[in-house]
Amino acid sequence: MPISTFMGLQTTLRGILAQQRALDVTSHNISNANTVGYTRQEAQMAATESFTYPSVSRPPQAGQLGTGVDITGYRRIRDQFADIQFRAQTMLKGNWESVSKGLEQVELALNEPSDNGINALLGRYWNAWQDVANAPENVATRQALAQAASSLAQGFQSARSQLDTIVAQTGQNVTLTLDDVNALGAQIATLNDQIARARIVGDQPNDLLDKRDQLIDQLATFGNVTLTVGANDVVDVAVGGAALVTGNVAATIAEPDLTSLTSGKLAGLIQLRDTTLPGYVTQLDTIASTLITATNAQHALGFDLTGAAGGAFFTGADSSTIAVSAAILASPALIAASSNGQPGNAANALALAGIRQTPLIAGATIDTAYSQLVTKLGSDAQDARRQVENTTILADAIEGRRQSVSGVSLDEEMVNIVKFQRAYQASSRAMNAMDEMIELLITRTGRVGL
Amino acid sequence: MSTRITNSMMTRTLLYDLQSVTERLARTQEKLSSGKELTRPSDDPFKTSRALQFRSELSINRQYQRNAKEASSWSDATDTALAQITEFGRRARDLIVQGASDSVGQNARDSIAQELTQIVDSIKTQANTQYAGRYVFSGSATLTRPYALGPSDAYAGNAEVVKVEVGPGVQVDLNTVGQSVIGDGAGGLLRTIRDAIADLQAGNGADLQTVDLSAMDTALDTITNARAIVGARQNRLESAVNRLTEIEESTSRLLSETEDADMAETLVHFSMQQAVYQSALKSGAQIIQPSLIDFLN
Repeated sequence: MPISTFMGLQTTLRGILAQQRALDVTSHNISNANTVGYTRQEAQMAATESFTYPSVSRPPQAGQLGTGVDITGYRRIRDQFADIQFRAQTMLKGNWESVSKGLEQVELALNEPSDNGINALLGRYWNAWQDVANAPENVATRQALAQAASSLAQGFQSARSQLDTIVAQTGQNVTLTLDDVNALGAQIATLNDQIARARIVGDQPNDLLDKRDQLIDQLATFGNVTLTVGANDVVDVAVGGAALVTGNVAATIAEPDLTSLTSGKLAGLIQLRDTTLPGYVTQLDTIASTLITATNAQHALGFDLTGAAGGAFFTGADSSTIAVSAAILASPALIAASSNGQPGNAANALALAGIRQTPLIAGATIDTAYSQLVTKLGSDAQDARRQVENTTILADAIEGRRQSVSGVSLDEEMVNIVKFQRAYQASSRAMNAMDEMIELLITRTGRVGL
Repeated sequence: MSTRITNSMMTRTLLYDLQSVTERLARTQEKLSSGKELTRPSDDPFKTSRALQFRSELSINRQYQRNAKEASSWSDATDTALAQITEFGRRARDLIVQGASDSVGQNARDSIAQELTQIVDSIKTQANTQYAGRYVFSGSATLTRPYALGPSDAYAGNAEVVKVEVGPGVQVDLNTVGQSVIGDGAGGLLRTIRDAIADLQAGNGADLQTVDLSAMDTALDTITNARAIVGARQNRLESAVNRLTEIEESTSRLLSETEDADMAETLVHFSMQQAVYQSALKSGAQIIQPSLIDFLN
């Protein structure tokens, strides 16, 4: 027999070593059971090449006597398709979350329905005109009107300045998010480099791949990510049409580079900053400017308590500048309540109060236009919130599926421990048997020279 | 092979469920503590727009009520003054009848004339009645005293009718113009009494019996008519207030239905969510703990 006596020892040694490696992988899995982004690994075992019996009558070929086992690699167990789905959902989630947060702030800024919102202030303002109509000669009621008008103007101004602040904050948020994107790009480029180096020497850099996948997950919440896998597992990454990572080089992208941004946190913020919020500002401005124009036009037709023609009641042109004329605040007698100069005539005050019922903005009164603005905001915010809920549930479900494939199950790992431990023990036992056999051969047979 | 359930999946699911239950609990708590179903427009945009509309309607409705009550007080002042003027007018008529009698001597007629002069001033004093610092009979010249006491009966006010709004587009005439009720130096009650005084002083019994007396009757009729108009106006204002109050009540109810939380329902939801929260916590504590580790050594 041309087979070595010690071949069996070698076979059992391979078994022992392989089971030990598998146990190591199991320990690694258990240690990382709670690591975010970790993908469970598996030691891939395969039988080593069989030993060929050389013989005169048969050609020299492989395949008769097994020689044991070897670890051929350590596999990450991951479903790439679930990754794509997950990133698509987190992108939408990022988009709606940023929109929803922004709109929530706008809702707080407008503070409706309440006793202090613009709606209530408008009501008090119109009523103050009616009170003046009830006693046009009375300076106290005129004073009250000037105050009510002033509160209303301040209400407009504060709503507007809060909207402006939210727009500015959203702009800053875009810049900060771009910083995050660029930081992620730099990290991905570094990982690309390390992964390529490992792959070139034939290693399987599982934990580096996990880290990179996790970074790409984060990147996906910011915008639509395009991945191009190249040689040695290097991934080129583009965000919103802008090349962020090419091989091991990361670019610094700025807002104008995002030529085809479709969704994600960045898209949500940009849309909020450029479209949604300015839309509300325009509506608020229209309401304020209509109020200013209509009031001043009617006010100019009347006469104040001194019999002089009415001047401007409101100054300013939009919601940021609206204010009660300083002259009227200083001397409410200048309010032109009368239509003919008689102190008891309040026809002009009634006409001014009547603006409340006049459709001035696309068929809507000033009050209705404001309530339309609030309703629009409400439904926008509600829609965004529902989308956040939906995308969260979907992203969660897909993450569940991902975890079902890639997550560590402690029960399973415990079974693996037992399995590999027993296999290790069995290999040791086989080695023991082999040892005893050889011992018998060496010490008991052919006792020469004794 | 059935779906592989991993430990992180279980913790994640539990955390997600706990979080959503807590979120709902917080929302219900907010409703309970504020008593409001709507705290921001996105809670229900449609209801919010309705609530805003109801709030506007309520605010204008209350203003119309205030207007109507104000107008009603003004009318009361007008009516009181007119009642006094009527009394003085009747007294003047009695005196004219008395002075017209042929049996009355010139001395007596002179003293009647004196009393009538006093009555003219009294009537003018009533016509100078003010409500909240405003002359009620001087048209829209409410800061001008309509009549000066003394020989001149000229009317210093104007004939403009002041209006008050008691509903959307519904305006009610507020004032009674003094000139059209008691006239001025050229006509009306004051002129009639002045004529009678002249006739009394001149001893013109015939004119007193015919012209002056019938003119006096006409003048008194004018005042009675004016009072009837004021009375009708008061009725109108009163019914306007009643109608506005009814609308206010129904609008308030609608607003409350739209905006306020149903406490009984919310409380039931609250305790239900609490139970769910507690059972989620309990099951979490029991499910997450054991694994095969506990049974292998």
